Amino acid sequence: MTPEVRALHEALERHGYVADPAITTALFLATDLRKPLLIEGDAGVGKTETAKVLAAALETELIRLQCYEGLDAATALYEWNYPRQMLRIRLAEQAGRDAAETEAAIFGRDYLLERPILRAITRVDGPPVLLIDEVDRADDGFEAFLLEVLSDFQVTIPELGTIHAVHVPYVVLTSNRTREIGDALRRRCLYLYIEHPDVEKEVRIIRRRVPAASVELAGEIARFVQALRRRRLAKVPGVAESIDWAQALVRLGCAHLDAERVDATLGCLLKDRHDLLELSQGTLEPMRAEARKGSS
Amino acid sequence: MTAAELAPAVARLGRTLRERGIPVQLGDEIDATRALARLGSPDREEARWALRIALKVRHADWARLDAILEGWTEPARTADPVRPAPAGMIDGKRPLRAAAAMRSSTGEAGEGDAEPAEGDAPGYSPAALLRHKPFEECTPADLAAMERVLVRLAARLAARRSRRLVPTSGRGTPDLRRSFRRTIATGGELVSLARRARAIETPRLVFLCDTSGSMDAHARFLLAFVLAVPRAARSTEVFVFNTELTRLTERPAPGAIGPTLDRLASAVPDWSGGTRIGDSLARFVAEHLPSRVDARTVVVVLSDGLDRGDPGTLAGAMRAIQARARKVIWLNPLLGDPRYAPEARGMAAALPFVDEFLPAHDLVSLERLVPHLQA
Repeated sequence: MTPEVRALHEALERHGYVADPAITTALFLATDLRKPLLIEGDAGVGKTETAKVLAAALETELIRLQCYEGLDAATALYEWNYPRQMLRIRLAEQAGRDAAETEAAIFGRDYLLERPILRAITRVDGPPVLLIDEVDRADDGFEAFLLEVLSDFQVTIPELGTIHAVHVPYVVLTSNRTREIGDALRRRCLYLYIEHPDVEKEVRIIRRRVPAASVELAGEIARFVQALRRRRLAKVPGVAESIDWAQALVRLGCAHLDAERVDATLGCLLKDRHDLLELSQGTLEPMRAEARKGSS
Repeated sequence: MTAAELAPAVARLGRTLRERGIPVQLGDEIDATRALARLGSPDREEARWALRIALKVRHADWARLDAILEGWTEPARTADPVRPAPAGMIDGKRPLRAAAAMRSSTGEAGEGDAEPAEGDAPGYSPAALLRHKPFEECTPADLAAMERVLVRLAARLAARRSRRLVPTSGRGTPDLRRSFRRTIATGGELVSLARRARAIETPRLVFLCDTSGSMDAHARFLLAFVLAVPRAARSTEVFVFNTELTRLTERPAPGAIGPTLDRLASAVPDWSGGTRIGDSLARFVAEHLPSRVDARTVVVVLSDGLDRGDPGTLAGAMRAIQARARKVIWLNPLLGDPRYAPEARGMAAALPFVDEFLPAHDLVSLERLVPHLQA
């Protein structure tokens, strides 16, 4: 492993993140080559977490832009504080101030509401991590807009002029692939696909996130969830679900998976009615026994 | 390893990937070169990850990339480590064994892939009789009744409201930015509020209809629906195929769908002949995909998937379509039969690249299709 990649790996581990070579290499290249990183993968594999831990490892601020359909520039970039501007005009009128002075005042930075992207490029103390979460949810028009922002890192506000980035932020985009990301945007980024972790990694993640879970219990949970993922499910449980489940089982005082409590807590893992019906007691029991066997 | 030393090897890899159907562009190769150069002397695993990340290879293509990388081996040996030769020289030089093996194998693969796509083979099959068969399944009264339902159904397509807000003169939520701007005209007095409301989003649709012999019983029914759609959707393209791909430019008026279909049957070569789905779709990909399909387009294929051609061609074409379209829907009339399993070679090859696989044997099934076309 390249020394710098190893250093980043250790920094990630220090911040409680179980990294693998793929993720570390991607984060290293993205920060070093100063390119945005597009992360794809199933729900719950830890895409957003990756951006969070990157910010922690770089000891900088995480600025998050949650995408949704209908997201527009006013929510992503900036908006004028209209009520405050109106108020200022009224006050200026009463005080009999000069119109030009008022105008200069109301279109100043004080009256500008900075939204995540503008905030990310105007941050003074070092580059922040800009997380553009679930970019697939925004409509494709927004994607085109992102292209411009991600290449120039400048924002033009008609009343104020062009604001250039103080520091070019580290950009992480995530996508759940509800919609294919356009090629142009994909080309502008580096690309990381996060798969579900293997048993060993999952055990480490569970142990890290739920310290109260014993090695045996974490192992059983990981093997059980792995077996579940191999089945054809509508909603495949991710690591987030494994962690939830581990917390639930620890809270209920389980040392090992037992049939009764697996059944009672299955809602932590399977969040689709069809999946719950599909996996009856008969199919779960052998999986549970198999998971138990691994730990003895 | 400097970038200059790595570049020829990465460029060769890029060409191989393109020949194998993994879309890699010059910018990606530059990224990959920079990434490998930055990592210095990466181990095998690290180099593989760096290439996946920097070349932006989709998860679905990873296995193919890995297979190609097996032949690529370390760039250290394929590039000249001592003196960077001028770019023109590199290809002239005798390539080392790994690169040579790779090149010869890709050469073959490239030719093999290209041939069926280019070979339109007019007069492909003597069995594909140019039968100009009139439709006899539906009575005219049936068809007229059906048409009315289909037109209503198609009209529902345009009803989806986007969550995007656009200026409107009617009702909607206040738009402060525009309102504020308007006050300039009235000397800072807010007289009327500007408003904005959710945009109405009309889908772009591309229909690819199979009119081969095996689809004959259904073709008229489905085309009546398809031809009713254009008036509702913003942009609709209809293609019919059997051994040839034909673009329908005609937009029949309401009530004129029946006669239009009859005219089509006589105008389209090989109506109800044999099928070459793969070749027809490959032609669609080659000629029409970039201009007619974008990220907002829903592509609907109407076919039973009984293909006489090479399943690989069909799979390749479907992959290309899916990569570009918003959604790919395959309507199969046979799916209405509960005993049916998509085992025909063509259907099995196409299925991995289909987002929705739906039946299309009666009006009810078409009604269920409408919500899928909207999203």
